[in-house]
Amino acid sequence: MNNKMIMMKFMFMVIFMIPLCLKKNMFWLVQNLMMLMMFMFMNLNVSIYYNTNLSYMFSCDIMSFGLILLSIWICMMMLMASENLLKMKFYVNFFLFNMLFMLLMLYLTFSMMNLFMFYLFFEGSLIPTLLLIVGWGYQPERIQAGMYLLFYTLFASLPLLMGIFYIFNKGNNIMFYFLKFMNFDFYLLYFSMILAFLVKMPMYFVHLWLPKAHVEAPVSGSMILAGIMLKLGGYGLLRILILFEKLSLKLNFIWIIISLVGGFYISLKCFCQVDMKSLIAYSSVCHMGVVIGGIMTLNYWGFMGSYLLMIGHGLCSSGMFCLANINFERLNSRSLYINKGMMNFMPSMSLWWFLLMSSNMAAPPSLNLMGEISLINSLMSWSWLSMIMLMLISFFSAGYSLYLYSYIQHGKYYSGLYSFYTGVSREYLLLLLHWLPLNLMILKVDWVMIWF
Amino acid sequence: MKKNISICFLSFFFLFFMSMVNFMMMIYFIMNNMVIFLEWEVITLNSVSVVMSILLDWMSLLFMMFVLLISSVVIYYSKSYMSSELNLNRFIILVLLFVFSMILLIISPNIVSILLGWDGLGLVSYCLVIYYQNFKSYNAGMLTALSNRVGDVFILMVISWMLNYGSWNYIFYLMFMKNDYEMYMISSLVIVAAMTKSAQIPFSSWLPAAMAAPTPVSALVHSSTLVTAGVYLLIRFNLLLVDMLFLKILLLLSGLTMFMAGISANYEFDLKKIIALSTLSQLGLMMSILSMGMPDLAFFHLLTHAMFKALLFMCAGVIIHMMNDIQDIRLMGGISNYIPMTSLCMNISNLALCGIPFLAGFYSKDLILEMVSLSNLNLLIYYIYYLSTGLTMFYTIRLIMYLMVNDYNLMSIYNLYDEDYTMLKSMMVLLFMSVVSGSMLSWLIFLNPYMIYLPLNMKMMVMYVSLLGGFIGYFVSNMMIYSMNKFLMTYNISSFLCLMWFMPSLSTYGLNYYFLKLGQNLLKYVDLGWSELYSGQGMYYILKNYSIFYNFYQVNNFKIYLFSFVMWMMIFMFLMMMIL
Repeated sequence: MNNKMIMMKFMFMVIFMIPLCLKKNMFWLVQNLMMLMMFMFMNLNVSIYYNTNLSYMFSCDIMSFGLILLSIWICMMMLMASENLLKMKFYVNFFLFNMLFMLLMLYLTFSMMNLFMFYLFFEGSLIPTLLLIVGWGYQPERIQAGMYLLFYTLFASLPLLMGIFYIFNKGNNIMFYFLKFMNFDFYLLYFSMILAFLVKMPMYFVHLWLPKAHVEAPVSGSMILAGIMLKLGGYGLLRILILFEKLSLKLNFIWIIISLVGGFYISLKCFCQVDMKSLIAYSSVCHMGVVIGGIMTLNYWGFMGSYLLMIGHGLCSSGMFCLANINFERLNSRSLYINKGMMNFMPSMSLWWFLLMSSNMAAPPSLNLMGEISLINSLMSWSWLSMIMLMLISFFSAGYSLYLYSYIQHGKYYSGLYSFYTGVSREYLLLLLHWLPLNLMILKVDWVMIWF
Repeated sequence: MKKNISICFLSFFFLFFMSMVNFMMMIYFIMNNMVIFLEWEVITLNSVSVVMSILLDWMSLLFMMFVLLISSVVIYYSKSYMSSELNLNRFIILVLLFVFSMILLIISPNIVSILLGWDGLGLVSYCLVIYYQNFKSYNAGMLTALSNRVGDVFILMVISWMLNYGSWNYIFYLMFMKNDYEMYMISSLVIVAAMTKSAQIPFSSWLPAAMAAPTPVSALVHSSTLVTAGVYLLIRFNLLLVDMLFLKILLLLSGLTMFMAGISANYEFDLKKIIALSTLSQLGLMMSILSMGMPDLAFFHLLTHAMFKALLFMCAGVIIHMMNDIQDIRLMGGISNYIPMTSLCMNISNLALCGIPFLAGFYSKDLILEMVSLSNLNLLIYYIYYLSTGLTMFYTIRLIMYLMVNDYNLMSIYNLYDEDYTMLKSMMVLLFMSVVSGSMLSWLIFLNPYMIYLPLNMKMMVMYVSLLGGFIGYFVSNMMIYSMNKFLMTYNISSFLCLMWFMPSLSTYGLNYYFLKLGQNLLKYVDLGWSELYSGQGMYYILKNYSIFYNFYQVNNFKIYLFSFVMWMMIFMFLMMMIL
């Protein structure tokens, strides 16, 4: 095959899946094709040292490879999780189109070599997310949530666009690979380039859009938000920071401090949540805080660990949102006061709650633990005083995970419950597909960890 | 025939077999002085390898043998004890998972791979504590899990401090890097981690609370395995710990734990809690002898204690079953007339706990106390040791009197039975071990015997305090109810003593209030307050107001135009007039 088509063929595969959305009963076919695509993509040759598979503007190194795999995987599982739409016949075709468009955008975001094109698709992936939230959300507040999602990101990313143009103007190229040959010690540029990604991550103080969006989004929206959208920020930071080597050493402490203290504060806020989804959303802010800390230390452990934790957290929090949705579909509420005593109804689902909850609190042998260990290593080698905050974060993350688990699983079930059905095999498969890579990949962890 | 093959029997058989295999291997290893060290590399980053290590030496094999033996009989026991449980499979699987994580903890000499067992123990024990669905076990489980999580976090910090050495196989660095500054940090973190797992003083409150678990779990988890994980970790780290300031603090804390638990056990009326507190007291003993630099004695006592304490819990389980799930010892009494076999087991394990000669506890405890007398100690520690020994006798005799001798107070008509052979058979195994394991182990694991050389009174000191404690225990158990009310005269001090020095309250309400309050305030003032004001809502507010403002101008533009024209003209004319 022509070498130029290696990366593009997957793009075409997604594009040519779009006509399938026009027909009826294509839901599972699209899902299966996505899975097929994932396995095909897994066979791509990637080198640990270089960007490989160059063609037009596409390229692939280990990090984009892993994140593309994660995107396809999550998109596939989003379809699996939202079978309810299919049953209700709730604009299924448009939903499928939206999924495919989202997958396309994410694929292009992660595979672009060009900073501007990356920016374009980075913003482009907002559109299907917004449509998901506004279109398939449950409550009227979803409009506000959509606005928050859109404008938080846009507010910070227009400076990013200006920054990209500035870099292009000065350096005459904006290829990721060549960024390492440039160095800008320019405060305004630093802030304008970093801030968009920090909002996307999200960093503490600019995280408000995330819980709102999660609470209002349908399960697929939550999964993609927690699974991939947050990782776009981390991906961007890992690519961009090479531009500001000197300035980063001076200024990165700001973000580390905000994220670590914020991570602790967020984990305390988790204890005040009574909405399952909101709690999980807050917990992802907490984890992403540690990721920001790891990236901003600029050392090898931090870069590796942040990539690994992004993958691990993508799988884990997406799985937890699935679980929350499984309860929601049965009880029509996300309140912790109503979702109680589930162990009496769904003992097997309780196992999955426990497994994913324990992965969320970074219990072995999950990827999260390995990622957290390397991030702790990086942050501790940056300053040992970060130990205090790391200990608090790690302790309270166990606390709120257990709080969530035992509040839902134990106790008396809600007495206003009229009818109930237990888990179906689709859901168990869905959770298995989240959990298995999360805990099995530790056996070959360099595959999702070492990216340069 | 088909009825016999249950998951309990299968697991029992498997675990028992594994235990025997471990025993044989242990004998082989100890005879040939052999150590097997296996390593599997997970990943190497910056020339630091994350490895999964397995260390098999006589110590780990012996400990595994004990854990497997106890767990096998406990599972066999729970076939009858949990027979009416609907989800027996879940229960047995949880117990098996627990044993698995304990084994992973025992065999890994690497601080990263030990997490696999260490975290696993915390999580599975959490599941086991909250096994019964009520608020009590929910709270107890949360307390247990979070206290243990403190230890996990400290282990995580140890991992990041060990990064300095370029490998996490701590076992290689203990001697060589002993005087390094980072090693001080590491060892203090390890000590705190071990203190959480072994429920030493600031963290003791979870151990009695964890008695909310089913009794077989208490027998396995909260007496012989989970709580000894901390002691075991420190035994592995012992080379590092000698001559350290923090170790002196540990000696004091563990001594106080021993003393505190002994006193609290005397105030307690809950059968399982008394046993739990006696476990706590024995853990304090192990920790304190460990912090005096005698890890082999701590290990010895760990093993013998595991045997008789598991047996004690199993007897308590039988009694609780028989008493219609009543745990209050004031309602029990005279049971030795009705259930002789169980009473026999109960008494033997209780006496072994006190260190009555030639039972299991005697060999370890007496040796420990004599080594304490031999060593160069201050008076405080010496008194704590001996007072705690007396207190052990005190609460044991009190318990025995309450259970065996005093009147049966629950109901006027009752029918106790002792013919549950599933439970009895499993207790017999441990009964045998509680009798012989002390002497067996002392011949097996000590290469050269300890030389004890003491004056007569110091040698007899154990006897004195035990007799004194025994007598007091006897008198206390015969105390009339109106004399008990005299405790109210010293209400403050007795509530201080019987509530474990207020530790349960301090570690729950004392801490969580502040954090929850902080979280609530943060949510209110930061997330729903200032952050909203300065980003989402604030921007919306400003934009909205300005647009209203401009809209106002634009809507009224004609009027304003005329008005401002007139204004300007007036100003102009005024200025003209000024100039002219």
